[in-house]
Amino acid sequence: MSASSSIQALEYLQGLPLQTHRKLYEAPSTVLAVFRCMLPHLAKSIVMAMLYMPSALPAADLEAWFKPSARREREQALSILDRLHILTSKREDDRSLSYSLSQGFQRSLRQAIEGSGTHRTFGVPATKAERREEKLGIDFLDQHARTQWEGILFFMVSGAAGFAPGSVKMDVGPGTKQLLHKGDLVRTVHETPKITKEGFTFVLQETNAQVWNLLIVYLRMGHELGMSETEVLSFLFMLGSLELGQDYSTSTLSDTQLQMLDDLSAMGIVYRSSKDSRTFYPTRLATTLTSDSGALPGTDISTNEKTDSKAQNKGFIIVETNYRLYAYTNSLIQIAILSLFTKLQHRFPNLVSGKLTKESVHRAVQSGITSAQIISYLTTYAHPQMQKSNPPLPPTVMDQIRLWEYEGERVEVTTGYLMREFGSEVEYRDVQGYAEALGVLVWKNDAERCFFVSHVEQISAYLKKKKEGRGGR
Amino acid sequence: MVKAIRGTLVKCDASIKAMLVDIDSKNNNEYIIEELDEEHILVKETKINQLKARLNEASCCMMKTHLKEPESSDSDS
Repeated sequence: MSASSSIQALEYLQGLPLQTHRKLYEAPSTVLAVFRCMLPHLAKSIVMAMLYMPSALPAADLEAWFKPSARREREQALSILDRLHILTSKREDDRSLSYSLSQGFQRSLRQAIEGSGTHRTFGVPATKAERREEKLGIDFLDQHARTQWEGILFFMVSGAAGFAPGSVKMDVGPGTKQLLHKGDLVRTVHETPKITKEGFTFVLQETNAQVWNLLIVYLRMGHELGMSETEVLSFLFMLGSLELGQDYSTSTLSDTQLQMLDDLSAMGIVYRSSKDSRTFYPTRLATTLTSDSGALPGTDISTNEKTDSKAQNKGFIIVETNYRLYAYTNSLIQIAILSLFTKLQHRFPNLVSGKLTKESVHRAVQSGITSAQIISYLTTYAHPQMQKSNPPLPPTVMDQIRLWEYEGERVEVTTGYLMREFGSEVEYRDVQGYAEALGVLVWKNDAERCFFVSHVEQISAYLKKKKEGRGGR
Repeated sequence: MVKAIRGTLVKCDASIKAMLVDIDSKNNNEYIIEELDEEHILVKETKINQLKARLNEASCCMMKTHLKEPESSDSDS
């Protein structure tokens, strides 16, 4: 789960230039967060093994750590480390390649682990004088986070679900609205927010992934507004390392970060009692940013909640083999999401019933929901009674949803690059093998000596390196 | 020298491919960069959404010529 949620963050991070990475790695909290939640396990092992090495590690030695059959895994781990500029490679005088951790990263990770240094990047707890009032409970923070976040989700789906604007109370600030538009998650048509393809995907994601998704939009927008990427990112990573229920002082924050505090509290990621309060509380949305535990302000939070929350409704959908669907819920968000791909017919105080029809699924597919998403949503929230059977959904229904999708959408598209005109069969085989090892190969045609890759940067780096290696010989 | 061409790879059935090629030829070949094999074509990245929309239009027209299949019954209530 955590893998899927941090993947967008990882992709964003990879796209940053070297200078930004250098600056980011000055903060131990950032380094720890990147290490903890961005790196795949193998890359973590490599970093750990090299952390206290006094000198550079020859490439031959590094390769000796891996079985020859694990070339693919090794290349993937090394390529991520390389793209994040954590690992630097250098050619020694005798032309052999050697690796070392980049200086800043190594120093900061050591500090983070040892707790040394005076960097204060893990947040400064507020003093009594700054607090001025009673400390807030975790319950209250969770409540705040959920209200704000569900407000955002509801704002997004309300248009599609046919609620008139203003008919239900939505507490979404203008800043957040702008953010959603900027990320192309909603578009306003005739004064009503209309959800887009990306928005659908967004709504069906788990909360942690949603938070990252929105924060990345925020990062991009912040860049346009002249906010420093480094400051925004390191603040986010710092939030991830804070403790829930503890209040922190704003005195060490920069102007950019103070500005961010306002925006983030509108989304429910942090809480401030008032705009000029000198303390802030991270909510669960913030503290789970860089951890594996569920960020759903519902799963573990609302055990003691009585209002309509997601957790309480965990497992509330019954689907019958005749495509009828019953959902024991009174949450408007749930109903709105269901209505995206179901033809809802009746609503009772604690139950809605409807039917999965060809039209309703087609409509969903056309607006960008995939059958896989529908099925996974229905499976995740299947009623405990249905969870007893395996698979929880009737197979006929699942197949039919897939078939309906196939009728509506008959092409599969991937953007990327077509590589061709290789000098020799050997070169073609070699580069194609490399692409496959990286996991970017989408399609190949051996007869024509061409193949299609989803990412080209590393392939071209590889080709360049090869050329240099040959030229030097 | 190795060449990299930017574009969108479209994977589809041979029948759909025929339709796509047809749409392309009727529109001054403004969509397709190259036909790669039976089930793959390379399309200009900027035009892919437009092409998809045209494909939907075309397949809708074809559907209408066939008998409309009975709708899923909503007789229950």
